[in-house]
Amino acid sequence: MDDTTPPPPPADQSPPPPPPVQTHTGSPTDFLKGVVGKRVIVRLTSGVDYCGVLSCLDGYMNIALEQTEEHVNGAVTNRYGDAFIRGNNVLYISAAEAI
Amino acid sequence: MASSTIQEPFDLIRLSLSERVFVKLRGDRELTGILHAYDGHMNLIMSDVEETIMLVDVVDGAPPGQPATVNVAKRKMPMLFVRGDGVILVSPPSRT
Repeated sequence: MDDTTPPPPPADQSPPPPPPVQTHTGSPTDFLKGVVGKRVIVRLTSGVDYCGVLSCLDGYMNIALEQTEEHVNGAVTNRYGDAFIRGNNVLYISAAEAI
Repeated sequence: MASSTIQEPFDLIRLSLSERVFVKLRGDRELTGILHAYDGHMNLIMSDVEETIMLVDVVDGAPPGQPATVNVAKRKMPMLFVRGDGVILVSPPSRT
């Protein structure tokens, strides 16, 4: 008597989930162009945050900020009307409002 | 407003020449003085400079949450060259 077992059912081949809806595409440069004139948070490698309006920046990531607040451990420690931040100290630039 | 004349960050520094500026340096040091010259490295020439040095004394065995004592030392220098790699931030006098 032929008692060969039937082949196992094929593995569940559900299609891969669709990629998440992308709300924004573009290169890092596009991001930086988009945030000029907007409120940003600049974090330095030391952990200090600078919140202000991004006036401009250059290829070294030197940054000019307006209406800047310096935050250390969540507390405001200084305010500057204008501030130049030397680019080598920058860890990241975060958009603080919609681009 | 100054932003209308700023196309690159160094413009902020150029507009501060001959003005009293605040400079934040590595090593918990701050300077205020009159800016005479700068270059692309942010090397600075300043005069009539006051340096403020924050010295934080960490007490061994102190209970957590106890504020560390911060001592501030100040000194004055008539003329100073600042090497650019020590500069974190430069802030011109507020133009209000």
